[in-house]
Amino acid sequence: MTNPIANSATFKTTPKWKKAFFSFEALLVVVLVVEIIIFNSTGTNFTTRDNLFEILRFSVVLGLLALVMTPVILTGGIDLSVGSLLGLSAIVFGKLWRDAGMDPWLAAICTLVFGAVAGGLNAVLITRLRLPPLIVTLGSFSLFRGLAEALTRGVDNVTGFPESFLFLGQGYLFGVIPAQLPIFILVAVGVWLLVHQTTFGRSFRAIGFSPEGARYAGIPVERRVAFVYILSGFMAALAALVYVAHYGQAKADAGSGYELLAITAVVLGGTSIFGGIGSVHGTLLGLAVLAVLRRGLTLSDQPAELGSILTGGLLLAVLAGEVLLKKFSSRRARVKTNAQVSQITPTT
Amino acid sequence: MPPLLQLSGVTKSFGAVRALKGVSFSLAAGEVHALLGENGAGKSTLIKVITGAHQPDSGTIAVDGETTGKLTPSTARTRGIAAIYQQPALFPDLTVAENIGLGLEKPSPFRPVRWAERRAHARELLQRVGANIDPETEVRNLSMPEQQLVEIARSLGAGARILIMDEPTASLTQKEVQLLLKLVRDLREQGVGIIYISHRLEEIFEVADRVTVLRDGESVGTKSAKEIDEPGLIRMMVGREVSSIYPPSESQPGKPVLRLENVGCSSSGVRGVSFEVRAGEVFGLSGLVGAGRTELARILFGITPADSGKILLKGDSIEIHSPRQAVESGIAYVPEDRRRHGVVLEMPIASNITMAIHPSFFPGSWLRFGKERELAEKYISDLQIKTPSSEAPGGSLSGGNQQKVALSRWLATHPKVLILDEPTQGVDVGAKSEIHKIIRKLAAEGLAVIMISSDLPEVLGMSDRIGVMRGGTLTRILDGPTADAHSVMSAALGQDEAGGIAA
Repeated sequence: MTNPIANSATFKTTPKWKKAFFSFEALLVVVLVVEIIIFNSTGTNFTTRDNLFEILRFSVVLGLLALVMTPVILTGGIDLSVGSLLGLSAIVFGKLWRDAGMDPWLAAICTLVFGAVAGGLNAVLITRLRLPPLIVTLGSFSLFRGLAEALTRGVDNVTGFPESFLFLGQGYLFGVIPAQLPIFILVAVGVWLLVHQTTFGRSFRAIGFSPEGARYAGIPVERRVAFVYILSGFMAALAALVYVAHYGQAKADAGSGYELLAITAVVLGGTSIFGGIGSVHGTLLGLAVLAVLRRGLTLSDQPAELGSILTGGLLLAVLAGEVLLKKFSSRRARVKTNAQVSQITPTT
Repeated sequence: MPPLLQLSGVTKSFGAVRALKGVSFSLAAGEVHALLGENGAGKSTLIKVITGAHQPDSGTIAVDGETTGKLTPSTARTRGIAAIYQQPALFPDLTVAENIGLGLEKPSPFRPVRWAERRAHARELLQRVGANIDPETEVRNLSMPEQQLVEIARSLGAGARILIMDEPTASLTQKEVQLLLKLVRDLREQGVGIIYISHRLEEIFEVADRVTVLRDGESVGTKSAKEIDEPGLIRMMVGREVSSIYPPSESQPGKPVLRLENVGCSSSGVRGVSFEVRAGEVFGLSGLVGAGRTELARILFGITPADSGKILLKGDSIEIHSPRQAVESGIAYVPEDRRRHGVVLEMPIASNITMAIHPSFFPGSWLRFGKERELAEKYISDLQIKTPSSEAPGGSLSGGNQQKVALSRWLATHPKVLILDEPTQGVDVGAKSEIHKIIRKLAAEGLAVIMISSDLPEVLGMSDRIGVMRGGTLTRILDGPTADAHSVMSAALGQDEAGGIAA
């Protein structure tokens, strides 16, 4: 197993239990437990099965966006357009069903294709024209929302969807499990496998750490980057379907502000905004922390504004905590690495 | 009268590398003193010591006979030291007058800019260097030589009496060179001391009063330009025997693997390159920095695809438009900039090694961690990579071991052609000879190896044949065993054996 000529003086491996104990995920679990303890004492019916499922139901739409935002940010990019695309997809779906007279399931499939195409627009601008993702998706953020409002002239709500479709967002499987939960689990497992078990995920990280380095390794950087933005668009459309089924109406302002919440969940979950570092389970933890906080405040009869204040404060506190944790646990290792790095700096 | 600038016994080390080993150098007012040496001889380090960018480990620097204390870039400037580089460092979006003004006027938060004064001053300085440039022009609209003139004007405005010009003519046309050389002579008349660095020997004989040659961080000697000729200078630059530390070539070159016919790429300045590399052969690619060697490698690897000529692999014409295609065709490239391109420093060694073989090594795109670790451990032991684990991040390794990881990545692709770009740059001596042995072994196994190197002994010691590049094209192919430092250097500098200019 070990290499006979290994130079053990230069690199010490930390025991696994120690790593787990000091890890960022552990910090999030602590935050989550503290939240539950607090809300259990202040809110009514907080730790019940019904409430758990209610929290899950609330998190599904946001969760779908956050899950797919993880690979986007891993490549060193960002997608600000997902919330707007959710709104536009909801309108596209409503119009296809009501005005074009499509079967709701056919309309749903068309909406998913539409979402992927809209994500493809971001992908083309980012990979072909090499524009920064922040700017491209800031543009499509306005564009998609504007289109949604134009299509409805800001007032037209599509309602009256058939029961069979609404079941997706309102029904219960076996009487207890919210119907959107299986979709969420399927997507979560899918994205987790993609990021952690395939060469795609490996490429995303390589691109996030060093796009040039990835290119010099023969990784098709443009194709991989395009893929994450198309996937992101597809997922925004899927989230739109769940959203419409949940609220029973398709309106132009659906999902506004969700892009920032999704990014918050991802960053809260330990994904580096500079790319390369991060995990899907981290995102799920970040999402849970966020969702429990929101739901807990509602059940404790606290004003909604407090939600924003606490979300923001929590994000900053956890990020600061992460930096302190890193400093604490890896100071020695880093000093050693730096010493080696400075030795090999080329001269003249 | 003391010399304008006097360096005595200056040494400077970076880690284990001794870049300057006791260099002494003097410059008189009104003198053009040329500084010559191969790539890596220590010229850049010496300049950085003079301009205060590096502090010497020992030795003294005296200006006007007065020993300076610790020089920093700003104290060097106040003592009248200025440097002009090949690439001008001006703000492209500001006007000429603004660029000059920013460098010269004392910054103060509440002082309004006196625009008329600034323009007049800029115009006066530009006239002094004989430049016919409107101070109101934005710098981005100026040509390269015009930008250099602006930089020189600014240095003069700052009271520069010691002007260092580091390859100022590298990107200039012949006519522009003549104008610049005239300016150099004018400045000399005004009493400015100029340290002139160039690889173009003819320029040196045209303007220099004295020449100092550096080699391996030491001053080989200072001569009056009148008492030495071109062959003599080249001898001074290379003058050493190739030591026998290089493993002998054992390979019997086989069939041609890669053939280039008039390959060029206008965007990277490479044109009309033709040569052939055979199986089992190490083809050394020599030339000065900027001769187009790395650019040629980038063409073959599909980073800047060729726009003219033909590339044939085992007799079949191939198109290489991306690194992916290069990898699929069997061309591997270990890049020069190891830390940016060669390894992803943040990722584990194992991930780095499998990075170029994702499609073939992981069928169906599923990662197989056990198989990956086995492969990584095989290379760790084959190439003797010093690391405690295949999971250690690439950045935790020393330069030589990082290079071995980069090499492993490409060996794992089972290439037909392996291009190595400065394979031992920044690598310590021990790892260097290990890498040489690996290269030999690969060639003996039938790989066609192209080795780009600025290290002349390495090129001579390792190559079966040596291609010399100059000005973006391959000017000569020499036979490895019979070539010597003098013939390679002459070809790289554009002098043929008889002393004339090569094609």
